[in-house]
Amino acid sequence: MSRSAKGIAALLVLLLAGSAAFLLLRPKGEGQVARITLNGKVVQEIDLSRVEQPYTLTLEGPGGFSNTITVEKGRICVSKAGCPDQICVHQGYISDGTTPIVCLPNKLIIEIIGGGSGLDAATG
Amino acid sequence: MTQRRAEGPHRVVQLALLTAIALTIFMAEAQLPPLVPIQGVKLGLANIVTVYAVFVLGPRDALLILSARVFLGAVFSGQMMTLLYSAGGGLLAWAVMAGLNRILTVKQLWLASPLAAVFHNLGQLLVAAGVMKSWAVMAFLPWLLISGVVTGLFTGLCAQFLIARLERISRGKDPGTKED
Repeated sequence: MSRSAKGIAALLVLLLAGSAAFLLLRPKGEGQVARITLNGKVVQEIDLSRVEQPYTLTLEGPGGFSNTITVEKGRICVSKAGCPDQICVHQGYISDGTTPIVCLPNKLIIEIIGGGSGLDAATG
Repeated sequence: MTQRRAEGPHRVVQLALLTAIALTIFMAEAQLPPLVPIQGVKLGLANIVTVYAVFVLGPRDALLILSARVFLGAVFSGQMMTLLYSAGGGLLAWAVMAGLNRILTVKQLWLASPLAAVFHNLGQLLVAAGVMKSWAVMAFLPWLLISGVVTGLFTGLCAQFLIARLERISRGKDPGTKED
């Protein structure tokens, strides 16, 4: 193998190891705040640990249809969407910051961010 | 490296044929359910053709095939929004491959494919971040880097085997062609 080929192979291994390490070692925050962003603007922030009764809310996005979001204690999901691909619905519930729910056609993002866990993370 | 580049009408037919093959693979793959529940992760089998084209026909012809496939793929799948993401990822991946084409031989193209796939996923995420006006989508980056390396390696090896087979076929007809 030539030097450039070895360099590329090393770069790929590094990328792979780096990503895997990042995913495995990232601090599992106790963050329970769901932030809903629509078209680049934060619409709502919900503290999931304080949700007593499950409820739904419906948001009309710039894509011309609506997403129905189900909020439960500790988790959140998109339960209904007017888009053709239904990717956000199939993703199901999220309860940590690993992967946000993203609805590309409607420009909707639901991410779970650390809320009030900053201190715990720093001391723990 | 001998480039099996045709001229005139022969070239048009060759490019059209490769575009048709890529588009068919693309549409067939689109019918499959997603492999993992993470957005943007897919095999990208149509890129076997792109990788092959960059290294055998040259980056210019590969760009023609790629842009035609991306545009027609968006038209046929009925989701024009995907055009933005495919174009962003596709162009970045193409640029990376065009650069690697200068430093890698045909026998090493399986190495170029995973790097191109990683940049494809990166380009797609950058477009998504622009469309959504939020960097939150970057949470997908580590997943997409890993999947890019794995799927890129797969398509790269497919292209590598494909070239070896095509070489055997063309050797039977045209003993003058020889790959280094």
